[in-house]
Amino acid sequence: MMKGIKLGVPIFLLLFSCLFLIGSLQLPKANLGNPNAPLYFPAGLSILMLLLSIVYLFQEIKHVAEENMEVRQLFSGRTPKLIVFTIILGGIYALVFDRIGFLLSTIGFLGGLLFLINGWKKWLINCVVAVSFSFLAWYAFSQLLGVSLP
Amino acid sequence: MDVNSFMEGLSIAIEPINIVWIIIGGFLGTIVGMLPGLGPATAVAVLIPMTFGMNPVSAIILMAAIYYGAMYGGSRSSILLNTPGDGSAIAATFDGYPMAREGMAGQALAISAVASFIGGLIAVIGFIFLAEPLAAFALEFGPAEYFLLMLLTLSAIVSLSIGKMVKGFLAMSIGLALSTVGIDTQTGIYRFTFGSSHLSEGIDFLIVIIGVYAIGEVLYNLLSIDEQRKEKKKVGKVWFSKEQWRRSKWPILRSGPLGFIIGVLPGAGGSIASMISYTTERQLSKRSSEFGKGAVEGLAAPESANNSASVGAMIPLLTMGIPGSGTTAVMLGALIMLGLRPGPLLFEQQPETAWALINSMFIGNIALVIINILLVGALVKVLDTPPKVLYPMIVVLAFIGTYTLSYATFDFYFLLLFGVIGLFMKVLDFPIAPLVLALIVGSDMEQNFRMALTSSNGSFGIFFSSGVSIALIVLTLLSLLYPLVVHWMKRKSQNKHEDQMYKSS
Repeated sequence: MMKGIKLGVPIFLLLFSCLFLIGSLQLPKANLGNPNAPLYFPAGLSILMLLLSIVYLFQEIKHVAEENMEVRQLFSGRTPKLIVFTIILGGIYALVFDRIGFLLSTIGFLGGLLFLINGWKKWLINCVVAVSFSFLAWYAFSQLLGVSLP
Repeated sequence: MDVNSFMEGLSIAIEPINIVWIIIGGFLGTIVGMLPGLGPATAVAVLIPMTFGMNPVSAIILMAAIYYGAMYGGSRSSILLNTPGDGSAIAATFDGYPMAREGMAGQALAISAVASFIGGLIAVIGFIFLAEPLAAFALEFGPAEYFLLMLLTLSAIVSLSIGKMVKGFLAMSIGLALSTVGIDTQTGIYRFTFGSSHLSEGIDFLIVIIGVYAIGEVLYNLLSIDEQRKEKKKVGKVWFSKEQWRRSKWPILRSGPLGFIIGVLPGAGGSIASMISYTTERQLSKRSSEFGKGAVEGLAAPESANNSASVGAMIPLLTMGIPGSGTTAVMLGALIMLGLRPGPLLFEQQPETAWALINSMFIGNIALVIINILLVGALVKVLDTPPKVLYPMIVVLAFIGTYTLSYATFDFYFLLLFGVIGLFMKVLDFPIAPLVLALIVGSDMEQNFRMALTSSNGSFGIFFSSGVSIALIVLTLLSLLYPLVVHWMKRKSQNKHEDQMYKSS
C-alpha cells in the first residue's frame, strides 16, 4: 500500500498533466485578438506540471523504501473507516439538505459524525451536542446573520 | 500619512458595533486557534460565513480580529499542551511548555499575551508609516510589474518549503491550473468547464480554501484521534514577576520590529519570524543555556515576533492586493467575495476602509490582551473539550459556510473533494499555502501576463523594461536560489562535522 501511494500520486499527477496539456491544446480559438491567447497560459502550465511530475516520480522511486508514518496511519486501525464514513455522511448530507431542511439534516449529519468518531457509548453527549449545536447554528446563521437556510 | 483619513478610520473603528465585532472575532479566533492542529488560516476559513450580510468594513475588521485572535490562541495550546495551533506557535513550545511544567503556566500565558500585544503595537505603528507610501509606489505598477510581483510571491512561498520544493511547485501548478477553469475574461472562451454551467464562473476558491484547510485538517486529525489525550493544566496566577518582565522587555522590543519586517516579505511569516527571533535572542542572551528549559526570554521574543509578523503580512495584502501567506490569501478571497478589492487603489478610493482596519488593529490588540489575561480560565476550558466532539462541529461549520457562498448543495461535493485533496497533501507533505495562493492570484496573474504582452505587441522585452521589473526578477531568482544555498551550507557544515569526527577518531 505504501509503495502504491508513493508511486501512485506522481503517476496520477503525470497523467493529469498530460490530460491538461491535451485539453489546453484543444481549447477553441479566440475571435478577438490573438486566437491562441487563451491557451498559452494553461499549455505552458501543463508543460511545467509535466516536468515537475517527472522529477517528483524519480524522487519517489529513489525513496520508495522509506517509511512514511502518516501514510501507514492512513490505513491502520479505524482511520480508513472514519475517513470513508465521514465522506459518505457528507455526501448523504448534500443529498438530503434541501429535501428535509437544515435542522433535521444537520442534526442527522452531526449526530452521525459524533457517533462515528466519539463512539456509541457516549450516546447522551452525542445526542445533546447534535441537537443543541444544530439549533445554535440555525439561530446564529438564520436569525442573527440573516442567511436563508432551507 | 493623511491625518483626515486616519481620523475618519479611527471614528469608524471605534463605532460600538465594530468594537463588538473586534471582541467577538478576537474571542472566536482565539478559541479556534487554540485547537491543536487548527491555525489562523483554518480559523478565518471556518468563520468566513460570519461576515455574510455585514458591510465590508466591519467584515474586514472582524476577519482581522479572528486572524490575530488565532495567533494569540495558537500560543495557548503551545504553552499548556506542547501542541502548537500552527507553525508560528511552534517556538512558544520551546520555553513556554517547560515553564508550564514547572508550575508557571499563568506567568507564561501572561508574558506571551503581553509580548504579543507589544509586538502587535510595534507592527501597527510600522504599518501606519509604511502602508501609504507602499500603496503609492504600487500605483506605478503596470501589468508586467504586477505579473512579476505575483510570480515573486509564488516563488517566495514555494522556496520556503525547503526540502520539498518540487512538491511546493506542484501544489502551486495545481492551484494555477484550477484558476484557469471557467470563462476567459479577455476572450469569453469557456475553458475546462466540460459543458457544466456550474463551472462557467470558475471554481470558487473559498470552497477550495474551506475544503483543504477545514475539512482537510479534520480528516488529517482523524489519523491520530484516538491518541489525542486531554492534559489538564493548573494555570495559577496569570501575571508575571518584575524579574520576568526585566528579562523579557528587551527581547520583546527587539523582536517586534524584526517580526514586522519578516512579515512584510512575501512568503515569509509568523513561523520564520518567531524562529529567527528565538535564535537571535538565544545568541544575544547571557543565559543561553537556559533556553529550551523555561527561559522567559525564549517565550517572549517569538511571541512578540509572530504577532508583529501577522500585522506585517497585511501590508502586501492591503497595499498591493498580493497575499503573502496562506492566511492572508484566505482573507483576500473573503474580501473579494464581499466586494472589496484590496490593492493600491484601496488607499485612494476607500481610505476610510483601509484606515478603519489599521485603527482596529490597535483596538484589537488591546481587546486580545484583555481577553487572553482576564478570560484565560474560560479559554483553557475549551482545551478540555474532547477533540472527538470538536472536530465534527468544525465539519458542520465548514458545510454551512460552503452553503452560504452560493446556496447550492452541489458545492458540498467540491468541498469533500478538496477536503480529501487537503488530507493527502498533508499526509504526503505537500505545502498547502502555494496551492491556495496560486488559485487566488492565478487568474489575475494570467490576465496581467497577457495584457503586458498585448501592450508590447507580443514582445517579452516588456518584462525587462523598468527598474522595478528587473528588481522583481532578481528577487524571484534569489528566492529560488535561497533553498539551494541553504542546502549547500547544510551539506558543507555536515561534511566539516564528519571530517572533524574522522580526525578526532
